[in-house]
Amino acid sequence: MEKLIETTNLTYFYRSGTKDQVKALYNVNMNVFQGEILAITGQNGSGKSTLARHFNALLTPGQGEVFVKGLSTVSKENIPEIRKIIGMVFQNPDNQLVSSIVEEDIAFGPENLGLPQPEIIERVNWALHTLGLEELRNEPPHNLSEGQKQQVAIAGVLAMKPECIVLDEPTAHLDPRGRRELLESAIHLNREEGITIVLLTHFMNEVIHCDRMIVMENGSVKMEGPPGSIFCRSKEVKKTGLDFPIAAQIGDGLRREGFDIKPGIIHTEDLIASLCQLKS
Amino acid sequence: MPIEVINLSHSYKEGTPFEKQVLFDINLSIGAGEFVGIIGPTRSGKTTLAQHLNALHIPRQGKVLIDGLDTKDKQADLVSIRHRVGYVFQNPDYQLFAPTVGEDIAFGPFNMKLPREEIEDRVRKAMAQVGLDYKTLYNRDIFALSGGQKRRAAIAGVLACKPQVLVLDDVTAGLDPRGREEILTLIRELHRRQNITIIFISNSMDEVASMAERIIVINEGRVIMDDATREVFARIEELRSIGLQLPEVTVLIDKLRSAGFNLPAGALNVNEAIRVITAALREMEARK
Amino acid sequence: MELTKNITLGVYLPGRSFIHNLDPRTKILAAAGIIVLLLFTRSYSAFALSAIFIGALVSLSGIPTGYALRGLKPMLPVLAIMWVFQLFLFKTPDATVYFHWWIFEATDAGLHMGNLIILRVLFLFTVTTFLTLTTSVVSLTDGLESLLKPLRMIGLPSQELVMTLVIALRFVLILAEELEKIIKAQMARGVAFDRGNFIQKTRKIFPVFLPLFIGAFKRAEELIVAMDARSYTGGKGRTKMKTLHMGRADFMAALILLAYGGLLIFIIISTKPMI
Repeated sequence: MEKLIETTNLTYFYRSGTKDQVKALYNVNMNVFQGEILAITGQNGSGKSTLARHFNALLTPGQGEVFVKGLSTVSKENIPEIRKIIGMVFQNPDNQLVSSIVEEDIAFGPENLGLPQPEIIERVNWALHTLGLEELRNEPPHNLSEGQKQQVAIAGVLAMKPECIVLDEPTAHLDPRGRRELLESAIHLNREEGITIVLLTHFMNEVIHCDRMIVMENGSVKMEGPPGSIFCRSKEVKKTGLDFPIAAQIGDGLRREGFDIKPGIIHTEDLIASLCQLKS
Repeated sequence: MPIEVINLSHSYKEGTPFEKQVLFDINLSIGAGEFVGIIGPTRSGKTTLAQHLNALHIPRQGKVLIDGLDTKDKQADLVSIRHRVGYVFQNPDYQLFAPTVGEDIAFGPFNMKLPREEIEDRVRKAMAQVGLDYKTLYNRDIFALSGGQKRRAAIAGVLACKPQVLVLDDVTAGLDPRGREEILTLIRELHRRQNITIIFISNSMDEVASMAERIIVINEGRVIMDDATREVFARIEELRSIGLQLPEVTVLIDKLRSAGFNLPAGALNVNEAIRVITAALREMEARK
Repeated sequence: MELTKNITLGVYLPGRSFIHNLDPRTKILAAAGIIVLLLFTRSYSAFALSAIFIGALVSLSGIPTGYALRGLKPMLPVLAIMWVFQLFLFKTPDATVYFHWWIFEATDAGLHMGNLIILRVLFLFTVTTFLTLTTSVVSLTDGLESLLKPLRMIGLPSQELVMTLVIALRFVLILAEELEKIIKAQMARGVAFDRGNFIQKTRKIFPVFLPLFIGAFKRAEELIVAMDARSYTGGKGRTKMKTLHMGRADFMAALILLAYGGLLIFIIISTKPMI
């Protein structure tokens, strides 16, 4: 698979060069592949957000390099192009919406790109349609639920037609329903529009729907691989303080009771299937 | 300390074109030492209801009796009511405002005009209760705390007023799994060891299911269920129809039941689920 | 405790009236014109005409009069203090003294000056509130941007200024809600905002601003990053989704305003000023 983002020996310090500098990232080597859904997880302060902000040059490496489709984020002239490729959605929807009307907010990005008027209108319509937000077109964000606001934020990024959307804990402030709908949108954008998704999250029931996951700890990549195989390494996962998916917890419990359930089951559907096998 | 809500209704922005009724004729009573969960979809009126329970909102229609005192009564000492019913807000940033941890926790007792030694004593005890180290954190800058520590400082600030009832409004939102577990453990201990009445509002059904003894479900400003936790989560279809996300364990058990497993409905946590599934599988093996 | 209830400045009340449908540029220019005329209004009869005219506009817009005036409520104590100050401190040599006490004298000149200032503030406030009540923030700023465009030539960063305004307006309600939450959090810990006199209440409000400002700075910081991530680099090279069009209604509105302006100027010139 083709690499969309690549970091090589990425190291980053906050307040770099001062006495109280804080190590945020240390020697990170990781890739985001074209077309995948990648989850990045880890405790607060593990460096995942700092890492994500390197992907579209909101932060630039202290040491090492970050490449987006071969373009290094270190050279300033690459930045406009990089930000067109990588869109970013943040944790708090209220702090990223600019306009007091939904459709105007979605137009903000395309307007910044200096697109001609008909194309802006077309893109706004397309983004509203893709995320099923047509009815909210003329609403002020103030009247929307947190989940809807976050969907609008995604639409605003989508209208810039990025190849990859980085979602920085987009569900942290949402209720369970908003969370589920947001995950569904992310999966839809990936499967139908071919957009690469990087999802930062604490919620394991979101992680299990991703193709691959990275676990961060103390500014380094601790584990990397498909969720199914990561959760087989239960001792290591426990050490990082992460939750386990419900199906994995119950599967483990039943295995300890002596039942023949394969490790690495993370979806409830798979657990039910293997329980049905036991039954027959 | 019992709390009683009688025929309570409430509207926001009364008398403007934006007026909106958010509570409709609510009746409920919460006894001393209970652990009650309040759940409901976003904007169902949970928070508005909860803020009536410590006189942050004063009823226009209906009334709220706290330990027999009517919050509407002009003579009622609202400040003392608010000290006895502590309220912890969703976002600790709204609640914390003194420069240091110690000063912030002392704010409540200071408003009670207690003697200085008593205030110090209460701050020390409150910090111990929530597991914040007095020596290292007393003078710590509030903004240098982690998310989990901020939550605990916010809870300590309320505990320092020695409340008999604690209202917790979605206090685990935005925490990582470790921080969440710590806060939940703390709340369980406050309830068990000090017999503080807990009113626990949460969006996470898994949390509520594993914490509360009794659950009140609010939808569109009305109480639609008020029952023991197990009974409430057994009404799967009703909860689904108002758009609530059920606890994952409950959903799994439900699916297994429809796949022909002989299981009791309404398992509330992972251990319970493992137990009932084990029992069902053993029974089937025996029959074979 | 509901703070946002009495805030009407900056609130938009959607509607389909003649006034709602005007081009925002028409409305902005009209409001500016009315305000300029107000500065020259010095007689009771001219104020009466303005009151009738603005009253007619409000009823034409379908906005409840009570709501249009609600925003004045929190300002009343300040206005009262201003009025008392003028009453006792403003003097002319030939003024009639109503009564005096110690070094203070209440004169008819002071009374009229007090009235004049209060009336101006009231009208100024009502006109601007009325503008925002009938014009969405977005079309307001679109209008401003279009009106200020010529000033780019003399180096005024009009687009950036308007963008700042757009954002400020979006955050007014958010910050008001936040303030309400902070006040509630402090009430929950024993501050009695709802008890005590004016001065006591004012003193209690100060600790509220620390978390509010810190919250606002944090929001601003996050917003800057988010705008950066969406390729915002200032006004240069930006295009717009919507463009404005003036129509017949705007032409009619202009005629009505000219008629009002003419009549008002006539009255201002021909009647005796208050002082």
